[in-house]
Amino acid sequence: MFNLFILILPPLLAWIIHLFLHPEEMSWKKKAVFCIFYFVLVNSFTVTVSCIRGVQGLRFNDMTMSYKIKYLCMGCTWALVLPFFVGVLTGGGEGRQGLKKETGKFFHDIRMYTHYAIRSARADLRAEVSNAYLDWLWWLIEPVCMMLIYTVIFGVVFKASEPYFPVFIFIGLTMWSFFSRCISGSVNLIRGNKAIITKIYMPKFILLLSRMFVYAFKMMISFGVVGLMMLVFRVHLTVYILYMIPVLAVLFLFTFGLGSIFMHYGVYVNDLSYVVGIVLTMLMYLTGVFYDVAKRIPEPFGELMEKYNPVAFLISSMRGAVLYGQAPDGVLLGMWAVVSLVLISMGVVTIYRNENAYVKMI
Amino acid sequence: MEAVEKKKAIELKDVCINYRILNATSVRKSFLHKKQREIVFEAVKHVSFSVEEGGILGIIGRNGSGKSTLLRSIAGVFSPNEGEIDLKGHSVSLMALGVGFKGTLTGRENIVLSGMLLGFTEKQIREKIEEIIEFAEIGEFIDRPVRTYSSGMHSKLAFAITAMLETDIMLVDEVLSVGDERFRKKSLEKMKALILDQNRTVIIVSHSVETLRELCDRVLWIHNGEIKEIGEPGKVLEHYLEFMRA
Repeated sequence: MFNLFILILPPLLAWIIHLFLHPEEMSWKKKAVFCIFYFVLVNSFTVTVSCIRGVQGLRFNDMTMSYKIKYLCMGCTWALVLPFFVGVLTGGGEGRQGLKKETGKFFHDIRMYTHYAIRSARADLRAEVSNAYLDWLWWLIEPVCMMLIYTVIFGVVFKASEPYFPVFIFIGLTMWSFFSRCISGSVNLIRGNKAIITKIYMPKFILLLSRMFVYAFKMMISFGVVGLMMLVFRVHLTVYILYMIPVLAVLFLFTFGLGSIFMHYGVYVNDLSYVVGIVLTMLMYLTGVFYDVAKRIPEPFGELMEKYNPVAFLISSMRGAVLYGQAPDGVLLGMWAVVSLVLISMGVVTIYRNENAYVKMI
Repeated sequence: MEAVEKKKAIELKDVCINYRILNATSVRKSFLHKKQREIVFEAVKHVSFSVEEGGILGIIGRNGSGKSTLLRSIAGVFSPNEGEIDLKGHSVSLMALGVGFKGTLTGRENIVLSGMLLGFTEKQIREKIEEIIEFAEIGEFIDRPVRTYSSGMHSKLAFAITAMLETDIMLVDEVLSVGDERFRKKSLEKMKALILDQNRTVIIVSHSVETLRELCDRVLWIHNGEIKEIGEPGKVLEHYLEFMRA
C-alpha cells in the first residue's frame, strides 16, 4: 500500500501544480496524458538519482523505511521542480529564447527597483512604529518575550535542554519567524497592494523583496540581541561565526524563491493562505525551533529531516557556527543555494509570464 | 495647416483586451467543479489610433465602455491580449481617482515612492517635493498617514504628483472633476499650462463634454469597446451628445 503511495503521490503533486500553472481550459484527454507523463517523468528522475547513488532497481520487499521516506522526499522535490520546466519548455512557444530575455529583464529590474524596495521597506518600518507607544522597542521586546515563553515551556515543562538553551531557542526563533512571516505574507501580497499595482507598472517580485527587507531588518535586530545574550552566557567565540553570512544569504535566497512562487499562486487560489498557515505550523514543529532535530527525532528520520528540510538545516548550521564552533556542511549548503536559485528563476519566470493577468484577477 | 508631419508619440494597433470573469478559484472549487465556465468579456475590441507628440486626445463614452481599461493598458498596468501598444520609448504616468498610495505611510513618503515608481531619482523628487506639497494644498496632513485623508485630499495629492513630476505622456482619468471649485479651477489651469508645452502628450478620459471641448485637439468616442468616431472635438462631441439624448 505504502509502496504504491510513494510512487503515485509525487506525480500527482506535479500534475496538480501543472494544472494550476496553466489555468486555461484543458480537455480530459489532455489531462490524462499529462498525468501519465508526470508519473513516468517524476519516477524516472527519482530512480535515476537513486541509481547514481548506488541503488540497483526498485525492490519493495527489502526496502528500509528510511529509504522509502527518502524516495518520497526526493520524488516530491522533483514534483515541485519539474512542472515549471515543462511549463517553460512547452508554453509560450518561445522556449529558451524567452528565458534568456527574461533573465536580462530580471537583472535590469533588480537594478532599477531595488532602490525603491529599500525605500519602501524603510517607510513601512517607520510607519509601523510611529503609532506605537513604545516605538521601535517592540522590535526588541517581541522576540525576547517569545524566547522567554518558549524557554520556560520547553526548558522547564518539557525538560528539553541544550547548551546555552535560551540562545539556542532565540536563534531558531529568529530565523524561523523571518522565514514564516515572509512566506505567509507573500500569499496575500498582490491582493494587499492592489491600490498600487492597478495604477502603475512595477515588477511584482519587488513587492516581495521590499517585504523581505522589512523582516530582514527585524531579523538583524534580533541577531543583535543574540550577540548580547552570547556575552551574558559567555559563549566561546570562534572564527566559525563568519559562516553566519553564507547561511543567512542562503536563507534569504531560499525564502525569496519560495515566496515568489507562493505569491503567484496566491493570486489565483483564494484560500491558499489557510493551507500555507497549516503547513507552516506543521513545519515549525519539524524544523526544530525548540529542540535539536537530529538528536530528538528517532534514528533515520531525525538526520533526514535536518538534511532535507532547508530551514532546519540552516538553523542548525547557524547554531553550530555561532554557539558550538562547528563549520556547516559545505556541500549541503551549496546544494541548497543551488536549489534556491532554481526556485528563484522558476518563481520569477512564472511571475513575468503572468503578471499582466494579475491586475485583471484582483 | 501644417505641412510637416508630426512625430507619433503613441500608436495603438488593433488592440483587444479581454477580462476573464469567474477565474479566481479556491482549492475546493477546483477539485469539485473541474470544468468551470469561463466567460470572456471583451472590454476593448480592435482599437487602433495614434496620438502625435504634443497632442491632446480626449476619450469619451458611456460607463463601462472600456475607456479606463484602454488607458490602463497604455500606462502598462497590463498588456493587451492582442495587438500592440507602442509608446516610442516615452515615459508615461497615469493619473486616476484614488491613485495607488500606501495607506499606512504619510503623504510625504508616498510622494517619494510614487515618484520612484514613475522612474525619477530620489534627488529629482527632493527638488520637486516642496512644489508638490504646495500645489496639493493639504497643509499639515502631508505628514499624516494617507488613510486619514478625505477623498478630495487624496485626489489633490495624486494630481499634484503627476502634474509636477512631468513625464512625456500624461494619462488623465476623470481627475479633473474632483476637489472643490477652487482646486478644480487651479488644476484646469495647470493642465492648460502643461498642455501648452509642445513636448507633452496627453490623453484625457472624462464624462465632461465642456472640459474636453476646452482642452482637447482631438476626441475619441468609444462605445462598447469599439471606436465609434474620432476627429474634431466639436463634431464628435456633438454626435455624442445627440446619441446620449436619444
